[in-house]
Amino acid sequence: MVLGVAKSRLAAERSNWRKDRPFGFVAKPANNPNGEVDLFTWHCKIPGPSGSIWEGGLYPLDLKFTENYPTMPPECYFPQHFYHPNVYPAGKVCLSILDPSKAWKPGLSVKQVLMGVQELLKSPNHGDPAQQQAWEDFDLNPNEYDRKIKAQAQKYQAS
Amino acid sequence: MNGEAASPGWPQVVRAKLLQQRMKEAKILAVGAGGIGCELLKTLALSGFENVQVVDMDTIETSNLNRQFLFRKRHVGQSKAKVAAEAVQRFRPSCKINAMQANIKEPQYNVGWFKGFDLVLNGLDNLDARRHVNRLCLAAEVPLVESGTAAYLGQVTVHIKGTYECFECQPKATPKTYPVCTIRNTPDKPIHCIVWAKDLLFQRLFGRADVVSDLDEAAEKAEGETEGDAAAAAEQEASFFVRQTGESSFAYADRVFHRVFCFDIERVISMKDLWKTRKPPVPLRLDELRHAAAGAASTNGIHKSSSSQQATADLSACRLLGIRDSHAAWSTAQSAQVFLMATQLFLDLRSDEVGAAVFDKDDALAVEFVAAASNLRSTCYSISPLSLFDIKGMAGNIVHAIATTNAIVSGLIVAEAIKLLAGMPENCRATHLRSSVHTGRSGRERIIGPSMLEPPNPNCPVCGTAQLSLEIDTHKTTFKELLDRVVRRKLAVAQPTIQYDGFMYEEGPDLDEDEVADYAKFLGRPLHTLPAGGIKDSSVVEVSDQAQKLELSIIVTHQEEWDEEKDPEAFSLGGKLPVASADAPAEDSSVAGLSSLTGANDDDEGIEEVFEEPAFEARPNLTSKRKRSDEEQSPIEKRLKAANNLGEDCEVID
Ligand SMILES: [Zn+2]
Repeated sequence: MVLGVAKSRLAAERSNWRKDRPFGFVAKPANNPNGEVDLFTWHCKIPGPSGSIWEGGLYPLDLKFTENYPTMPPECYFPQHFYHPNVYPAGKVCLSILDPSKAWKPGLSVKQVLMGVQELLKSPNHGDPAQQQAWEDFDLNPNEYDRKIKAQAQKYQAS
Repeated sequence: MNGEAASPGWPQVVRAKLLQQRMKEAKILAVGAGGIGCELLKTLALSGFENVQVVDMDTIETSNLNRQFLFRKRHVGQSKAKVAAEAVQRFRPSCKINAMQANIKEPQYNVGWFKGFDLVLNGLDNLDARRHVNRLCLAAEVPLVESGTAAYLGQVTVHIKGTYECFECQPKATPKTYPVCTIRNTPDKPIHCIVWAKDLLFQRLFGRADVVSDLDEAAEKAEGETEGDAAAAAEQEASFFVRQTGESSFAYADRVFHRVFCFDIERVISMKDLWKTRKPPVPLRLDELRHAAAGAASTNGIHKSSSSQQATADLSACRLLGIRDSHAAWSTAQSAQVFLMATQLFLDLRSDEVGAAVFDKDDALAVEFVAAASNLRSTCYSISPLSLFDIKGMAGNIVHAIATTNAIVSGLIVAEAIKLLAGMPENCRATHLRSSVHTGRSGRERIIGPSMLEPPNPNCPVCGTAQLSLEIDTHKTTFKELLDRVVRRKLAVAQPTIQYDGFMYEEGPDLDEDEVADYAKFLGRPLHTLPAGGIKDSSVVEVSDQAQKLELSIIVTHQEEWDEEKDPEAFSLGGKLPVASADAPAEDSSVAGLSSLTGANDDDEGIEEVFEEPAFEARPNLTSKRKRSDEEQSPIEKRLKAANNLGEDCEVID
């Protein structure tokens, strides 16, 4: 009760995630060395979709929630300079289900968000360029695009 | 005088001596000593309350003086709570007001502390603190009178645990934020351009270079995939906005204008996919606007002498340009003039701030710059320009505060407080103050509209959980002992999840080995040494079961003395246990309930924090819910009603 709406919902999200965890994914509220937990920051890992050039990578993604969750969506961050047409240089993911003026619904679960981001990896959205390089490569230079994605999968190889 | 009548009704009861005595003795917590708080303290004191605790962390600012009438110019910089308390006591010495300059969210204001009050009255302006007070009032089972004002609008509601909705039973509209993609490339509302001008352009030209906004377009021109290249591109981007050695302020303003309203716009136009379903923007050319702007900018830079020795704080591009009407939208040429002039003024006369400036809605020049830049961008994107006044309000998220609204709302708060002390919770109402006359069903015109209070939302994540009390020695008892003896044995929880703010413990076969190992570290620790402050007196601990649908809150009281004969377990658990429903499927969990609860305010427009739409008429189906039997009444409601024994020997005084 004293956790409030946002944190209660996040506690419920964590509980549901444990009941129904999609294979290969990781999602957990952040812990600091003192054992304190921050329900507003989740450290996640997204496996590259199998059968795609992303396969083999396990990509770190941070979800950042606020007191306004779930009215407002979490922000999702890959590492800085992550190579993808819809990821900003600072790592922020541009995706309609993460946009409160587009497809975000307060009922969307953390699992649905992570599955949505996984889908975005192999199916970039042409209308929402977030970085010039990956967007141009994807459009004009597919071979170069594939090469860089595969190099990145290598970099974030699942152990 | 009124011998055979039963209890006097509302509002006659206000004259009862017994009630007046009760008002004198009641311990009242008033949270906030600002706009509502000043009025509230005054009204409480004049109504006969004599025992008030006020908490406010803020200090008095000059801009408060026009409406926070307990403060004078000499008080600027002092504690609002303390000055307000002194001012009220000066005209009503019998009223004891204890003032604390502190944040109500500090841990010393815990459940136990809240339990020391008969009523809590909120006069707060921020959502976080209001939510916090709501939770503590629920845990401490103290009735809360909650209020809010915004310009001419106001509302007062009453929250009683188990009887009426809590503050969070219905989702609140939250201040909007805007998607980065829209702000950067495809604005379609004035606010998008204002956010861009304030958070990106102003920051980049005059603010600290190391404050990187999400909006930064760092790697637009990155040549390769390496991080080093992208970082270099970011630096190159940022360095464009650095003034070159020997560059006049005029040349700099000119260069920035061309870059952001022409070059950058052309670059966005070249992203063809963006414009398949939208109208592409149009770049602005300064030479085309120049004939109008010519007289404005001084090619030689601006010197102190030419601006008649103005104080830096009073610098205004509009004044120098002779633009006086702040309520009219500027022409594009005027916006260009103001943009160039404001940029020059900043560089020439406030050069010591460049690189460290922070946008402030009371900084005239900063507001003019933001207004000009956002209007120019609006022009590029075919969005209607706005007046300086409107932009100032939107950029500063300003809701104009009105003293009369605060005064009316404070009167309503005190009225509800008196009903509660009179033991008449059924007479409490939610009251909305409107900005214009509203014609009710009765045909009567009014601006103050009362409505019935709603019963609690059973799915409310805040007040919908069962609550137990636990007395235990938090110094000697280890976390493992708590889990084994209380959580597993008494509460029959199979796979406990234990949480409080900053702490989480989980069990279950699905956890990874390293998670289990991390959690095992907590087991041997005494409760008060656990992370994030530990479990101690007045802690509220959330317990749920991963294996079944069961959630409850435990309010802890630290108790060291235990009689081994009488209490061999050395703890005592109070309250009614909820019945667990075994093995609820995942989709049936509370999240599904929550989604329906929170879906309401998607298309809320507005930049300020607004409250929900006033509901004026009492809803008949809810009035019937009100009439419940005694057994259905919540303990706190019973307590309140028990207090209503004012009838028998009631003396009505004149
Ligand atoms: Zn509630």
